[in-house]
Amino acid sequence: MWFKSKTAALGDFEQLVLLGVLRLADEAYGASIRQEIHARSGRDVSINAVYTTLDRLEGKGLLRSWVGEPTAQRGGRRRKFYAVTPAGVSAVRHAYLALRSMADGLEDRLGAK
Amino acid sequence: MSDRIPPLAVRLLSRRLPPEWQDFILGDLEEEFRARAASAPAAARRWLWGQVLRCLITPPAPSRPASRSRPGPRGDSFMRTLLSDARHALRVFTRTPSYAVAVVAVLALGIGANTAIFSIVNAVLLRPLPFEAPGRLVRLFHIPPQATFPGMATFSLSPANFLDWQRESRSFEAMAAYSFRQLTLTGAGNAEALRVAVVGPEFFRIVRTQPALGRTFLPEEHEPERSRVLVVSDGFWRSHLGGARDAVGRTLTFDGQAFTVVGVMPPQFSVRAWGATTVPMWRPLAWTGKERAVRENHNYQAIGRLADGVSLGAAKAELEVISKRLERQYPADNAGWGGTAIPLQELLVGDVRTSLWILLGAVALVLLIACANVGNLILARSMGRQKELAIRAALGAGRRRVFQHLIVESLVLALAGGALGLFLAGWAISTGRTMLEDQVPRAGEASLDVRVLLFVAGASLLTGVLAGAIPALRAGRTDLNDTLKEGGRSDASGAGSFTRRVLIVAEVALSLMLLMGAGVMLRSLHNLRNVDAGFNPRGVLKVEITLPDARYKEPAQIRGFFDALLERVRALPGVVSAGMIDTLPATGGGSVQPIVVEGRPELKPSEQPTVSVRFGGGGYIKTMEIPLLAGRDFIAADAEAMLISASAAKLLWGDADPLGKRVTLPLISRELKIEVIGIVGDVREQLSEQAPPTVYYYKRDLPFGQTAVAIRSAGDPLLLARPVIAAVRAMDRDLPVQEVRTMDQVIEETLVAERFRALLLQIFAGAALALASVGIYSVLSYLVRGRRREIGIRTALGARTGDVVRMVVIEGLKPALLGIALGAAGALLAARLLEKMVFGVTATDPLTLTAVAFTLLAVSVAASLVPAWRASKLDPLIVLRDS
Repeated sequence: MWFKSKTAALGDFEQLVLLGVLRLADEAYGASIRQEIHARSGRDVSINAVYTTLDRLEGKGLLRSWVGEPTAQRGGRRRKFYAVTPAGVSAVRHAYLALRSMADGLEDRLGAK
Repeated sequence: MSDRIPPLAVRLLSRRLPPEWQDFILGDLEEEFRARAASAPAAARRWLWGQVLRCLITPPAPSRPASRSRPGPRGDSFMRTLLSDARHALRVFTRTPSYAVAVVAVLALGIGANTAIFSIVNAVLLRPLPFEAPGRLVRLFHIPPQATFPGMATFSLSPANFLDWQRESRSFEAMAAYSFRQLTLTGAGNAEALRVAVVGPEFFRIVRTQPALGRTFLPEEHEPERSRVLVVSDGFWRSHLGGARDAVGRTLTFDGQAFTVVGVMPPQFSVRAWGATTVPMWRPLAWTGKERAVRENHNYQAIGRLADGVSLGAAKAELEVISKRLERQYPADNAGWGGTAIPLQELLVGDVRTSLWILLGAVALVLLIACANVGNLILARSMGRQKELAIRAALGAGRRRVFQHLIVESLVLALAGGALGLFLAGWAISTGRTMLEDQVPRAGEASLDVRVLLFVAGASLLTGVLAGAIPALRAGRTDLNDTLKEGGRSDASGAGSFTRRVLIVAEVALSLMLLMGAGVMLRSLHNLRNVDAGFNPRGVLKVEITLPDARYKEPAQIRGFFDALLERVRALPGVVSAGMIDTLPATGGGSVQPIVVEGRPELKPSEQPTVSVRFGGGGYIKTMEIPLLAGRDFIAADAEAMLISASAAKLLWGDADPLGKRVTLPLISRELKIEVIGIVGDVREQLSEQAPPTVYYYKRDLPFGQTAVAIRSAGDPLLLARPVIAAVRAMDRDLPVQEVRTMDQVIEETLVAERFRALLLQIFAGAALALASVGIYSVLSYLVRGRRREIGIRTALGARTGDVVRMVVIEGLKPALLGIALGAAGALLAARLLEKMVFGVTATDPLTLTAVAFTLLAVSVAASLVPAWRASKLDPLIVLRDS
């Protein structure tokens, strides 16, 4: 295998999606996640990209999902809700810690203070 | 304005999105669209269509089942990725057509050749005979006493023994005796000699085939006086009776006697390999009381159908028991004569079975070599594509995914190769069929049936997997980091080149095995052609003449005819000599009989020594240039005399002088005492077999009505054909003249099977050699390309042209030498298969093996020279600057 570490390495967009689901807690579904990412990162991603990534993360065992009831607001369609699994939390923590420690002391140069 | 998403968007998305996502995505879009439309409808619409468009272009992949342990494509999604891989492969090939064409061509040749050979194997060995329950049909034989007929496993039956078997056995539903006669059709243009099968009453019941028109024979038609009826073949019905529905009931004149046609058999009844069905017509077998009692003369064939539930072994055992009883009852005639049954199918194809499997094996080796070559090509390409593959991997493609992708590519190529190969095979079959149908039983039935098509599909898939597996496995093992870091530079000393060397070793080894087989076959053929057959076939023309019994009843009439004919023929310009004999060497057939030396105690017939008996006359020995070792040839004044071959003299008299001694041929007459007047050289009847002890018997008033005339010409013997036929016609307009050919042609025809085998093996070996040399060349070129830098540095440091060439050639020779060693071992192991098919040479012939090994070595050197020379011409300045 190419990826030897136990914790799955996360792509940039995968991190955004996982963090979105964590933030939204019980209200994490396609549209809300998309809007959360748009609102916080400024990236206006397409809904299909969100679902592709959600599906892949679920396949990796980092998310779990369930289907809600149809609502009139959605034209009688159902929502698919997501929640982060412990493995998912650990993967995000890993990515976050790695980024933070890499960026440590560079805040000035990055203009991120 | 509506705050619902437009129906068009819904329709488009419903079509494009995987069903399991539709609810959620459409719901999300509608929810967000409503929220946006409440404040800014126009912007909301723009936003919606933007989202719809992005979904249409790249829809989310179908959901994978939430399996935690093994994420990966399954089921429907597996098929989808398979199809998308195939589509991708096709796109890649249209971008690099030369690569695709090369691979497809190599595979098409390999698969095509395999398919053609397999279709023959299928027709000959695998397809059942076109009779009902053909597996229950057996041929019945005597097993002759080994003391008198050494090496002979089967023998024809005598009428009395057959009738006893038929009456006493319980293992058979029915048995029928049959034999062959020649009838001369007259009254319709030139007289025509036709071979007729004379069949016992149960014959048609046993083969369970109904006539297409009319009926088969009635029981009473097997009485001698009522037996002038015929069942004709479909071919004869069309060619001679105009395919008329009212042909049944017509009469035909044979030898001056009228025969009534009572039935026409269907076309599929003519099974080429089985003489009893390929004749143009059948007559009832009608034994007289005297004929039924004949026990010592074995000249009938027999067929039987095993009774339900009886095994072949049980039937054989029963025949043995009956034979044992007959032995006790008739010790004079039957001592040592056993009985056996052999399945018809096995009998028809037994001789060619090994041959065909060997050819199939050989052609499969060619396909393996082709696979190795294609594997090499794919490997070379996938090395060139390492970067692409690494990027795929970086984007999340698993190793399994990359493997599948490459295998699909090679499968697409192999299937294209298979389709093209099928066309090639179709062409080869229609060409080869006509060439082979007289030589290999049932080969004429070769065609592309379901089994052959399945074979092609299987061969293509297997080829695709074989050729693609190694490159695909290798690609999967590529180190992602290294590949991307190196910027796509391939390294020639790495594991990729190890794989390539292994492929070269395999190619060379397989080629050597094929070359060895072809070499041994060629030597065997050469030996057969040059074997001393005991006579000189060059310059001899032969014709066969059959005098109809009905018109030539008296021996004097027959003798008179042939004497006059020989006189006329000898008078023709260009004729050196002419003579006649009942059966010429290399034409098959002829009588084998017991012989009794005068003055010795008479042994039981089963213990008497046997000899080949030829009925001939003056001029034959001289015409064939058979050496006269002692005594003299027949002369006109002889009333009765015998010449014996050297081995017959040895068999009967040892070192004593046989001249002037007298013998009896009891099957002809116990009263005859024939004087031996001369000893002649041994003559081989089959080129590959030892000459049998032979006697040439001449009796003035016992001429044979069915005779071959041999004519030695001073020039081209074929020029004599016309005048000889004219001479015969001038004497009797109604006589058929058959088989006008030179003895050289006759002998060459007996070698057809050997020639065919040798030719195919040569073609396969040639193809293998070409493929192997291309393989060596391409691998070395690749290696040299990878080592440009190293070679450049060597040159810059003072290496000379010769050093570089030597280095590269040695690089190429290492795997080639290993391949030669392994191939030699393989060839020696496989030699056992060929041992029975070669003549005058062993299948492990060291000379051939050495020659073949050196040929491969030379080819390997030649294939290495071009890349080596190219390497030596590298300009170190340019190379080092480039890298």
